[in-house]
Amino acid sequence: MDKMDKYIKDSKSGMTPIVKTVVRFVMGIIFIFGAYVVLYGHLTPGGGFAGGVILACGFIILTLAFGKGLGLSKLSDTWASILDNSAALLFLTIGFIGFSGGYFFTNVLGKGKEFALFSAGTIPLCNIAIGLKVTASVFAVFLTLSIFGRFISKLVDDYEDDTEKE
Amino acid sequence: MILYFLTLVLFVMGLYCLVAKKNIIKKIIGIVITEYSINLFLVLVGWRKGGIAPILLKGMQKSEIVEKGVDPLPQALVLTSIVIGLGVLALMVSICLRLYEKYKTFDMSEINRLRG
Repeated sequence: MDKMDKYIKDSKSGMTPIVKTVVRFVMGIIFIFGAYVVLYGHLTPGGGFAGGVILACGFIILTLAFGKGLGLSKLSDTWASILDNSAALLFLTIGFIGFSGGYFFTNVLGKGKEFALFSAGTIPLCNIAIGLKVTASVFAVFLTLSIFGRFISKLVDDYEDDTEKE
Repeated sequence: MILYFLTLVLFVMGLYCLVAKKNIIKKIIGIVITEYSINLFLVLVGWRKGGIAPILLKGMQKSEIVEKGVDPLPQALVLTSIVIGLGVLALMVSICLRLYEKYKTFDMSEINRLRG
């Protein structure tokens, strides 16, 4: 709590204190709603992609309001990349588990009771894997376009300058 | 029928934005509106009055699904299309940022030094 107060009073990074205070209240609701959409993907409209985009928007709104210091401390670019790749592998693993019951993506787990949270076999697991992947990759796209965009284009310019000299 | 006509109106609005505007960001918005109108059209094609989810539950006749069930193919197709649209949007925005850093403008008519 003290850390967040410090970030709100810090006027150098991010937006005005009004935006910061509102984001501080709304942030938790956004993350809970995103997790709800991911977890209930097999019962209600939504699913891994929609919930993942909502979760990524939570991180993006955090970065926009408080500056890159807080945003990168919650989910850094390295961890976004790791989460992105490992969630893709997790989704593939769930697909390969299906081979134990026949073919690719066979629903080998018990179906459970209809319309219960823990039902539908491997479909909620797929949703969670997709949700993690979309969260990490959309946030990584945002970071690449906003924070590291200048850095990457500087690298490209340096490369072009070097090739022109040669 | 009027809903199909409204998606056509949305499509034409996006196409107008894409053709008539000079700002690249507005062109991107036009592409996205066009894309969403096509998504909406495909979802409308799959719509059915009083439709049920195409899941065969216990004690349900197969003929009931044939009569009332919704075709899941347009929805799956549109979900894939939305994901691809997000990727294309990120690519377009990144190209725009690169163009802005090279030419210091978003105006299409001023970017006339494109020689590959």
